[in-house]
Amino acid sequence: MGVPGGASATQVHAEPEGLCSHQLGHGFFVVSMGVLVYWLRGRRLIRHKGWRYLQYSAILFVVWNLDAILVHYLENRDDLFMKFSEGTLHAFLQPYPGREWVTVLFYLGKMDHLLCVPAIVFLYLALRQMIRSPHRFSPQDDERP
Amino acid sequence: MTLPFLPIFVVDLLGSALMIFFAGACVRLSYGLHVQDRENVLWVYLLMVSHALAVFAVSRGVGHIAKQLLLLGGYRDIWDGLRPYSGSLNTISFCVVGAVTLFFERIWKVYQQILRDRHALREAHENLVSLNKRLEDAVAERTAELARSEQKFRRIFEASLDMIAVVASDGTVLDMNPAGREMLGIDGLNPQWGSGAERVSFGTFFARPEEWEQLKERLQRECSVADAEIDLVGRDGREISALLSAASQCDVLEKTEIFHLVVKDISQRKAMQQQLLQADKLASIGQLAAGVAHEINNPLGIILGYTQLLIREEPEGTERREDLKTIEKHTRTCKTIVEDLLSFARRSHTKKEPASVRDIIDEVLSVVRHNLELRRIEVETHFDPQIPALVVDKDKLRQVFMNLIMNAQQAIGKDGRISIRTVFGDDGKHVRVSVSDTGTGIEPKHLPRIFDPFFTTKSTGEGTGLGLSVSYGIVKDHGGEILVESEPGKGSVFTVLLPVTAEPVESGGRDD
Repeated sequence: MGVPGGASATQVHAEPEGLCSHQLGHGFFVVSMGVLVYWLRGRRLIRHKGWRYLQYSAILFVVWNLDAILVHYLENRDDLFMKFSEGTLHAFLQPYPGREWVTVLFYLGKMDHLLCVPAIVFLYLALRQMIRSPHRFSPQDDERP
Repeated sequence: MTLPFLPIFVVDLLGSALMIFFAGACVRLSYGLHVQDRENVLWVYLLMVSHALAVFAVSRGVGHIAKQLLLLGGYRDIWDGLRPYSGSLNTISFCVVGAVTLFFERIWKVYQQILRDRHALREAHENLVSLNKRLEDAVAERTAELARSEQKFRRIFEASLDMIAVVASDGTVLDMNPAGREMLGIDGLNPQWGSGAERVSFGTFFARPEEWEQLKERLQRECSVADAEIDLVGRDGREISALLSAASQCDVLEKTEIFHLVVKDISQRKAMQQQLLQADKLASIGQLAAGVAHEINNPLGIILGYTQLLIREEPEGTERREDLKTIEKHTRTCKTIVEDLLSFARRSHTKKEPASVRDIIDEVLSVVRHNLELRRIEVETHFDPQIPALVVDKDKLRQVFMNLIMNAQQAIGKDGRISIRTVFGDDGKHVRVSVSDTGTGIEPKHLPRIFDPFFTTKSTGEGTGLGLSVSYGIVKDHGGEILVESEPGKGSVFTVLLPVTAEPVESGGRDD
């Protein structure tokens, strides 16, 4: 029991599964945020400033997730670019010939904090707005227009 | 074409730090929201989302910072060891955020349901409060109304001068007003009506117990009885003539039978009726007697005149003269009787003038005192000095007191006491003169007749039976009253009530 050996009864999860599950997780995040946007709009909650900010946050998180999925995908391609001096401040990328624009896309997408930080800032603004002027909900809010 | 990693490195580090910072700020705000309204499930939801995002932001931010720093520091092997954990934690955390987010719809519906329930509860509560308030008002109003009604009927019950009683069918008095208790002489009694040792039975107050039984039967049969004349006997032995009206609760379903009684004391009314009857009788007799007296008076005058003429012509000592004297004496007696009758019938002239009652009584006493002393009858007088002069016919009033004192003397016989007392009434409108004696008293059966003309208990020749009748007529003529109280063996008290009048009155007789 103490010595690990071959376990043929269980499935082996090799390296690509981690990336795949991570990508699926991003996909699930996209769907959940998309659904949230749909519901916020459907319930007409976006009439209130706080909930509108929450919608913006969700949209930005959707875009960020899409960006992350794309970047993860491109990063695992071996035929797009080469990394030099990795692990130093002088590191750089050099695209293979004919892969320039994809490499630029990857390069820009890699700066995903430009999307997720505004997303969480909007979440912060939404919560702040809600705490400052809390909207009193009523059962009529459930009626669709 | 080369693309430097530095911008990516800077954005990664700064972005991760900002993510951690804002994630923490979001957690703090969402907690603030939750504290503001702990029952709001939406804030709980946002708190959960914020926490999940914070975990995500921290794990990712820390992961990215660690990655950059470890790579720069040349610790790639450490980063390679941490990387799977950081990546997995990231994956789990944003999956949690996604999962929590997907609960929004359900949370929202729950929240809406809570709102609807709360709204319905509030409405129900408001309705209940309103109904309760209305009920309380109605109860308060009804209670006040009942209190007013109770007070009103209690006042009628307490203030009624007639007896009002609630009696059970077995005669037990359940309640009785003060007038009833006074009437029956059970004032001092404070019974727990209907129970205990001091239980009072209404039937015991009936002079004839069979009347109570008959009354009960009638009440049970007819449910009500109106103006039944009954005689009651109070605890003090006083007889009460009364009119009884009663009703019973004739409810078949109700097993208990309760009688509601109203009893009116008519003793005084009956006494007055008796007096009126007496007065009426006296008036009738008076009229008759006066008519007869008027017719007899003139022939008697003629007989007396001629008899006196014959006496004058007859010499002294003859038998004829003695016979004529006898005729004269009896004619005079007849004339006195006739004059008394006329006086009783008020046909003689009455002249009223201010006079002192005390003087009149003193005059009478000066005449009779010698006679009384001979019989060893003591005379006591108590004159009220405040009595004013009364407008009376002195001669007639003198006759009244003479009659009363002579009657007292005859009732005593020998050895006794006559008390004469005058009192000025509290109301200032009456003078009360009472003549009491320690004589034999008057039998109760004779009391109603003593003012009747010719009624006498004296032996023949001792009285004409007109003294009290004449006195009665004189006192009535003065607007007064003459009353008698007597107890056989102990004596009698005659009381003359005379009104105090300011002006002299000439009352015209029809004397001819």
